[in-house]
Amino acid sequence: MVEEKIICIGCPLGCETTLKIDDQGEVVKIIGYKCKEGQQYVLEEYRSPVRVFTATVLTENSSRSLLPVRTNRPILKTKLMEAARALVSTRAKPPVRVGQIILANLLNTGTNVVATDDLFD
Amino acid sequence: MNFSEIDVAIIGSGPAGMAAAIKAKEEGAEHVLILERQEQLGGLLHQCVHNGFGLFYFGQDLTGPEYAHRFAEKVRDLGIEVLLETMVTQISPDRKLTAVNSREGPLHLLPKSIVLAMGCRERSRGQLNVPGTRPAGIFTAGTAQRFVNVEGLIPGKRVVILGSGDIGMIMARRLTLEGAEVRAVVEILPYVGGLTRNEVQCLHDFHTPLLLEHTVTEIHGEQRVEAVSIAKVDKDKRPINGTEQMIACDTLLLSVGLIPENELSRMAGVELDPLTGGPIVDQFRETNVSGIFAGGNVVHVHDLVDDVSWEAEIAGASAAQFARKEKLEKRRRIILKPGRNIRCVVPQAVSAQNDVILYARVKDMEENVQLKVGDIFAQSLRVVKPGEMLKVNLSHSQLSQLKEDIVEQIIECERRRYDG
Amino acid sequence: MAHMETEVLIIGGGVLGAAAARELSRYKVDVILVEKEADFGWGSTKANMCIVCQGGDTLEFRPEYHRSKLVWDSMPLMEPLCQELDVPFKRVGEFTLIRNNEELGKFQKLKSRAEKLGMNSHKFLDQETLRQMEPNITREAIGALFDPNIAIVDPVRLTIALIENAGQNGVKVMRETEVLGISQKVNQFEVETNQGWIQCRFIVNAAGTSVDKIARLVNSDDFVLYPIRGYVGILDKNLGGLIEHEIHMRPDVPGQMNILTPSVHGNLFFGTTMQPAKRGDYSTTRRIAEIGMQNVRKIVPDISVKDIIHSFAGFLMFRNWEVGWHECVVQSSRKVPRFISLCIGYPGVSAAPATAREVVELLRREGLTLEGNPRFSPYTKAAPIFSELSVEQQKEWIAKDSRYGHVVCRCEAVTEGEIIEAIRHGATTLDGIKFRTRAGMGRCQGGFCTPRAVKILSRDLGVKEEKITKKGRESRLLLHRSKELIEAQI
Repeated sequence: MVEEKIICIGCPLGCETTLKIDDQGEVVKIIGYKCKEGQQYVLEEYRSPVRVFTATVLTENSSRSLLPVRTNRPILKTKLMEAARALVSTRAKPPVRVGQIILANLLNTGTNVVATDDLFD
Repeated sequence: MNFSEIDVAIIGSGPAGMAAAIKAKEEGAEHVLILERQEQLGGLLHQCVHNGFGLFYFGQDLTGPEYAHRFAEKVRDLGIEVLLETMVTQISPDRKLTAVNSREGPLHLLPKSIVLAMGCRERSRGQLNVPGTRPAGIFTAGTAQRFVNVEGLIPGKRVVILGSGDIGMIMARRLTLEGAEVRAVVEILPYVGGLTRNEVQCLHDFHTPLLLEHTVTEIHGEQRVEAVSIAKVDKDKRPINGTEQMIACDTLLLSVGLIPENELSRMAGVELDPLTGGPIVDQFRETNVSGIFAGGNVVHVHDLVDDVSWEAEIAGASAAQFARKEKLEKRRRIILKPGRNIRCVVPQAVSAQNDVILYARVKDMEENVQLKVGDIFAQSLRVVKPGEMLKVNLSHSQLSQLKEDIVEQIIECERRRYDG
Repeated sequence: MAHMETEVLIIGGGVLGAAAARELSRYKVDVILVEKEADFGWGSTKANMCIVCQGGDTLEFRPEYHRSKLVWDSMPLMEPLCQELDVPFKRVGEFTLIRNNEELGKFQKLKSRAEKLGMNSHKFLDQETLRQMEPNITREAIGALFDPNIAIVDPVRLTIALIENAGQNGVKVMRETEVLGISQKVNQFEVETNQGWIQCRFIVNAAGTSVDKIARLVNSDDFVLYPIRGYVGILDKNLGGLIEHEIHMRPDVPGQMNILTPSVHGNLFFGTTMQPAKRGDYSTTRRIAEIGMQNVRKIVPDISVKDIIHSFAGFLMFRNWEVGWHECVVQSSRKVPRFISLCIGYPGVSAAPATAREVVELLRREGLTLEGNPRFSPYTKAAPIFSELSVEQQKEWIAKDSRYGHVVCRCEAVTEGEIIEAIRHGATTLDGIKFRTRAGMGRCQGGFCTPRAVKILSRDLGVKEEKITKKGRESRLLLHRSKELIEAQI
C-alpha cells in the first residue's frame, strides 16, 4: 500500500488530500477532500491529470495584436506545451465573438479552442 | 450624456467597478456613470487570460476576459453610462470629481455618491530596494502580463521571478507556454505567497524551480539584465553569507506585493487603514467621507475576483441608497481590531443590525488554530496562510449578543489546545 | 562614413557641455556637440541631489580654489538662466542642523570666515524658530545655520533646455555619438566617432566620467580624477510636505553626507555616502541603502524604508581626492593647444553658468575669434506640463491636439500629448520620455504607463516595439514578439 499526496485544485481552496493506493495501482481511499467534486477531481488527477489550456493567438486585420483563447474542456496535462506550439500559426480575424471556435479539435483531443473575448475590429 | 444628474459615479470598471455599477442600477439608482482610464470595460481582467474566475460567482470556471464580458454585457443592457479612456485626476472631500479625456476635455462632476474601485498597483523595484544596477529587463509581473497577453511582446527568454504571489506564478506558467525558460521563482518565505492551486498548476506542472526562503540580493547587467544573485535567507529574512549563487537571465519579474491605489481617496480626505493600505470602511463599505464608498482591491487585496465583485456590490448598493437620500441605518459602531496573527480585517467597523462577512488575513502561516472574534465567534482551522484570505460569517444575532457599551471586538488566531 | 567640419567640438552633453554650447551660441562660431548617450544629461547630471549651492558649499569656501570661484560667480546667474530657459528653479534655503555646542562652535567659526569673504546671508536660528519653520525634523537639533540662498532645480530639464537653446541658436547637436579617437594635425583635430569623422580647430572636453579618458587620446590628461560614488533615494510625493527647506546634517562618519531636500517636482530626495568606487559601476548595495535610511531618519524620524520609491547611484569625479580637498578641472591643456577639459566633481550643476563663460574665455585665449551672434536669443519655452495648466489652458491644448486629454501616466498625470511633444523634441527612448515628461517617475515607477509609452514611441518613431530601448544602445525592453520563442521550439 502506498500513499500519494495530491493538492486538489478544483477550486481555490486547494485542499491537501491523501490517496491510499494498493499494489495494483488502484485508489482504495481518499482523505482530506471537502466536497464531492473535489473527491472526483483528485481521483482524476491521479489517474489522468487534465488542465484547461488558456493562451493567446495572433490576429490578422485587427487593431489588437492578440485574441485570448481557451480550450472549452480540460486536456491532458502532458499536452500543454504541445498545445501551445499548435497555436503558433493560428490567426484570428475579426469579427469574432466570445465562445467562437478558433481551432477545432486541438491535437485530436476532441476539444476546441474558443475565443474568450470579442474581436470586432 | 447628462453630467449634471449623476446618482452614482464609479471610478474603475474592473470586476469591482462593473459589479458596483450593476448593483447600484438594480437598487434603483437612475444615472450611474463608470469612469474608466483604459480603452475598454474590464480593467485588468483583459490581461488575465487564465481561468479560475467566477467559480463561485457564476459557478463556472471562466477566464478573465470571459468574466469581464459577462459583466460588460450587463452594464450595456442596463444602460449604465460609461466614459472610457477617462482619467479621474481629483476628488474633493465634498465629492467634486475632476476627470479628463480627449473628447470632452476636462470634466467637473458632482455626483450624489461615489464608489472608489481603482484596484491596486504593484510594488516596484524602487520600493523593494533590490541592490545592483538599473538595466532594462526588470518588470513587475502585472506589467509583463500586459505585454505578453495584450501587446504581443515577450520581455525575454530566460526569466527569474522574484516573489511567488499569484501574478508571479501565473506569469511563470504563461511565459513557459510562450517558449521562455523560467529559471527560478524565488520566494523569501518558506511557503508560496499566492494560492496553493497556483503553486501546483503553474510551477509543479512545468517543473519550474521554486526556491523558498531565498531572495534576490543583486541585479547584474548595465544595459540589460544579465544575471541575478540569489541567496538563502534566515528566519529574519536576511541573506545568509556564503549561500549566494548567480542565475544567468535576461529578465527579472517582480511579484512582491500589491498596494491598493488610493491617491484619489487621499485627495478626498478618506481615512486609510495603514494595515490594508485602503480606506477604513464599515459593512456598507462607506468610508469616513459621507457619500464616498469603496469596494474591491482598492480596499484590500483579495485572492478571488468573485469576492471583489461581491464586495463591490455592497458598495454599489449602499451608494445607490445614499443617492436616494435614504439613510444607511447604522445602529452602533463596533470596531474590529486585529489581534494575534491577524494582519488586517475588513470591514474595520460593523453595526449590529445585519449579517456581515468579515475578511481577514493572517500575518504568518500557522497550523491548528482557532479563529475567534471576541467571544461571539470561533472556528477551528487546520492551517492558515497569508496568501489565502479568511472569511468569517457573523450573523446579526451573534453581534446583537454584545452589550451596548461594547465598542470593540478583537479578531485573532488562537493556538488550539489539544485535549489528550 | 560622414565627414563633418566645425570650429569647436564639444564632447559631452551633460550640464557643463550643454552650458558651454549655449554660451558659445552667443557668438558666430560653428559648434558641434556630441553626446554618446541617446539623450542629454544621463551621466552625473541626472544622478545628484539637484541642489544649487549659492556661494558654493559656503561653509568650506576657499577663495583660492578655482571651483569655489566658479560657484561664487555662478551665484547670480542661475536663477535668470532658469527663467530664460523656462525651467524650474526654487529657492528653498538650507538648514544645517546643529545638534550640540561643538557643532555650534564649528559653524560659528565657519560663518565668520564666510562673512570675511563677503558672504553675508547666513544666520543662526534657535530651536524655537527651527521648530516653527520645520516642525517635522528631529528633536535633537538645538538650532540651525540657515542659508536662504540655496535653491533646487531639475538638472536634466535644465540641460535639455540648454541644448535646445543652443540648437535654436545654431549649435549642431548629435546624440548616440561617441568619440573613439582624436588625432592632432597642424592647427586642427581629426576626431573619429562612431558616426563619422569631425574635423575641428578647438575641442571642449566635457565628457564627465570619461573626461580623463578623452584627454588621454591626445596625451593631455594632466590631472588625476577619482570616481566617487554617491547614493540618492527618492521618497514618495506624499511626504513632500514634511520639509520645506533643504536640510543638511553633518555626517557622523567621514565619507558620508546626510542631506534631505525637497525636489522641484514635489518629492523628497535624500543623499548619503560618498565613497570611491569603480568607474561605471552604478550598482547600489544593501549596506548603502541601510546607511541612507538610517541617516535620513536622523533628520526626519518619521520616514521609513517603505517611503522610498526609487534610488540610484551617481558619480562625482574628484580631482586631488587624496589631499582631502578636491579641485575642479577647468583648464586649457598644458601640452596640447586649443584643447580644454572640464570636470567639476561637485558642485557641477551649480557652477555651470560661470564655467560656461570661463570656457569661452579660455577658447578666446586659445585663439577663437568671438564675434557676436546677432540672431542669438536667450529664451526657450518649455513644453506644456498639462497637470500644471489652468482648466482654460487645458481645454485649449486639447482642442489643438486631443491627445493632451489622454492621460498615460497616472502617478504624474502625464498626457499622450506631452509624450509626443517629448518625442518631437528628440526623445527616442523610455528614459528620454521619463526625464522629459516625468512619465514613469511616480510611485508605480512605470508599472502602468510603460506599455503605453512603448506603443507611443513605436508608433511615432515608426520603429517596431521590440526595438524600443530603455536608455539606448543595448537596452532593449522587449526582446521577442509573441510566438517567436515557441515557434523556435517546433
